[in-house]
Amino acid sequence: MRDVTFKRSTLIFAAAPAQAETWWQPYADVYRMRDGWLVKFELAGVRPEDIRVEVAGRRVHISGVRRDWVLEEGSSHYCMEIAYNRFERMIDLPGVERISRAGIDYRDGILLVRLSTKGD
Amino acid sequence: MTDQDKLQTLPVLPIKNTVLFPYLLMPLAVGRPASVAAVEAALVTEDKEILVVSQRNNSVESPSQDDLYPIGTRAVIKRMSRPQDGNLEVIVLGLERVVLVRLDASGPYLQATARPLPLPTETSPEVEALHREVAELAANVLQLAQPNAPAELTRVIAAAEDPLRLAYMLASVLSLDLEREQTLLEAESQVDALRLMHTYLRHEHQVLDLRSQIASQAQSEMSKEQREYLLRQQMRAIQQELGGGNPEQADMNMLRERLTKVELPPEVRKEAERELGRLERLPNGSPEHHVIRTYLEFILELPWGVNTQDVLDIPHARQVLDEDHFDLTEVKERILEHLGVLKLNPQAKAPILCFLGPPGVGKTSLGQSIARALGRKFERLSLGGLHDESELRGHRRTYIGAMPGRIVQAIRRAESMNPVMMLDEIDKVGHDFRGDPASALLEILDPEQNKTFRDNYLDLPFDLSKVFFVTTANTLDTIPRALLDRMEVLRLPGYSEEEKIEIAKRYLIPRQLRETGLQADQCQFPDDALRHIIARYTREAGVRQLERSIGRVARKIALRFAEGKTDPVTVQPDDLGEFLGPERFNQEQARKTLPAGVATGLAWTEAGGDVLYVEATLLPDGRGLTLTGQLGDVMQESVRAAQSYIWSHAEELGIDRSLFRRYGLHVHVPAGAIPKDGPSAGITMAAALASLYTHAPVRQDTALTGEITLTGLVLPVGGIKEKVLAARRAGIKRVILPKDNRKDMRDLSETVRNEMEFVFAEDVGDVLREAVPLLTGKLKAA
Repeated sequence: MRDVTFKRSTLIFAAAPAQAETWWQPYADVYRMRDGWLVKFELAGVRPEDIRVEVAGRRVHISGVRRDWVLEEGSSHYCMEIAYNRFERMIDLPGVERISRAGIDYRDGILLVRLSTKGD
Repeated sequence: MTDQDKLQTLPVLPIKNTVLFPYLLMPLAVGRPASVAAVEAALVTEDKEILVVSQRNNSVESPSQDDLYPIGTRAVIKRMSRPQDGNLEVIVLGLERVVLVRLDASGPYLQATARPLPLPTETSPEVEALHREVAELAANVLQLAQPNAPAELTRVIAAAEDPLRLAYMLASVLSLDLEREQTLLEAESQVDALRLMHTYLRHEHQVLDLRSQIASQAQSEMSKEQREYLLRQQMRAIQQELGGGNPEQADMNMLRERLTKVELPPEVRKEAERELGRLERLPNGSPEHHVIRTYLEFILELPWGVNTQDVLDIPHARQVLDEDHFDLTEVKERILEHLGVLKLNPQAKAPILCFLGPPGVGKTSLGQSIARALGRKFERLSLGGLHDESELRGHRRTYIGAMPGRIVQAIRRAESMNPVMMLDEIDKVGHDFRGDPASALLEILDPEQNKTFRDNYLDLPFDLSKVFFVTTANTLDTIPRALLDRMEVLRLPGYSEEEKIEIAKRYLIPRQLRETGLQADQCQFPDDALRHIIARYTREAGVRQLERSIGRVARKIALRFAEGKTDPVTVQPDDLGEFLGPERFNQEQARKTLPAGVATGLAWTEAGGDVLYVEATLLPDGRGLTLTGQLGDVMQESVRAAQSYIWSHAEELGIDRSLFRRYGLHVHVPAGAIPKDGPSAGITMAAALASLYTHAPVRQDTALTGEITLTGLVLPVGGIKEKVLAARRAGIKRVILPKDNRKDMRDLSETVRNEMEFVFAEDVGDVLREAVPLLTGKLKAA
């Protein structure tokens, strides 16, 4: 009888992103500020023009694509840990009715999103 | 966008044994140079994409297009590292299903142009139903397969909103074979994919179910005994709680109580106490326990020392015996004698009687009458066909299913130590390799030994000396001498016609009328009708056939009454043909005339007596003596003795001696088919031969019986009563008998004695004088 066991290579479901077209999720820090909120996304090596930020209701939605631009003729990877290709991340602000205003800054590979909220 | 726009050319990573599904991460070890090159090529692109395709056959190292499935998965490489062994380790994430359009094997690695092959999203109720079903089944399977599976896994499965994703996830969890995984990947619609998954899951479920069944079965078998033990302990606890002590102890106490109550001989008590002690020490479940318990119960059931009080009222006993049986005076007297002895000496040993007689004369029922007359219990054992000694004496207790012998069992049934025990058909005891029951009977029937009879099962001395043993037999010939010697043989001869009529009137007719429900006045059997039935419809020494015939007549008459007839019926001899059919027996009637050389003999058979004729004739030019008619050795010898006597006395008889030389001699006794033996036809032979050689016929109204010696003496023979009755039935009025048989005359009824003429012969001279009238003058002269 063929025994039923789990494959050794049991997959990491948790890592699978929520949407079919998204391959990785950037890490994020969320700060509570005196005048609103600050959300920090780790998006090192991503060209600013490849980032898309949307704000709707109390949700911050960023998506885009990280392309590898260190591609010299004759080089090859010895090791690869950075995730490339499409990314996506959504953050819902707690206890917020609606985001009224957003400001974006991109510095040293970090995307900063400042948010003012109504109802605060 | 058209499909064409979506065409992409990417490096190909062939994998063995498994399939990469979209949405899923999979770690892969990459070792083949072409594959390593493909991965490296993918890594130097901006997007790190690669085509992961399963190969059909594991053993192919450099697969071509034919070795790869046409449908694979576009994937992105998430991580790559190079462990020490020189292989690559990558983690790939499946992106979407693609179909390979073109494969290019010209470079250092495989490259393929692929077109995406997405499955359209469906939202039909069928998909939803399948989705739920699969999710539920999957949860079950996971539960069965790995009860300790991480809760996360179950949660993820339950939470999966996309049915296709669920199916792919499950495929990676279940250990499906490559072919099934590929089939799932190639499914043409979501419904198909879900159906496939459902089938796989159901199969897994069955397999797992079976496995857990097998496992639990083994476990339950192991724990069954433990469980029983537990239950027993609980029962014991309950019993104790109720104040009853434990049940086994209660059982033992009950046995012990019975043991103290019953009066037992000291030896038996000792043995029983010992066995009870052993029983108490044995666990309840042990097989020995059951054996000892049965044994003890049997001991307690035996009627140790219990005797029924004999009714020593002789007139009462006589009355009982007369009520049940007609005549049989000899037997009745013997029983009354014993009663008398018992009255004077209560310790007298019971006699061991053997009733000998043909079937149907009432041997068995006589035993019952004895029990009734004495006021004892009656037990009957049929020994006919018995051929195992253990049946009588029991099996030793060591054998499985051992039982006490029939004798001891009969005593237990009788519930007294002094029943009348009838051992029926003792002449029909057989014997084979299992022993000889007749030898066991030697001990049982010996008054000196049966005081301490030992049954193998009981293994204790058992007193049979108070048992009134009665045995029955049809013949003594088959009873071993030693056994016969222990019994007092009482003959119950056949009944004569008069006796039968009397028995019919007193017992048979009332019984049959009772059974058919007729009143005594509704149906009458006059003597001549009975006589007709006895002569023409029965041929027996007893009365069984007679009773059956009366029963038949009675039933026919009962039918008439049931149909509305009211007149009482008197059965006439002429009506019997109607009631009983054609007559069954033609009486051997006395021959009207006898030619020279023929004499009338008488024979004894088990069914009573019979008339037979001895025919002798001279054979011209013949030689010697021819004997026919199934004559036994003794009968043949008596023919030779008769012949020698006649030859040696030829001169006295006036016989021409040249006849002996010139003629052979043939003696025949009809009916030829029936074997005959015995010496009692001796004088008949002599008469026939004398008549033959002298041409003087034997008297046709005379029958002869008696043994002959060479010197011409006539010796007595047995069965006189039956023979005389047979002669009378045949219409012969004159019988020549040996002188020493005169004593048997008292067996004959008054009527018969008055009706017939008996001639008692001392030697052959007397016989010939009386039987062959023409010789009379010569013999007197001699």
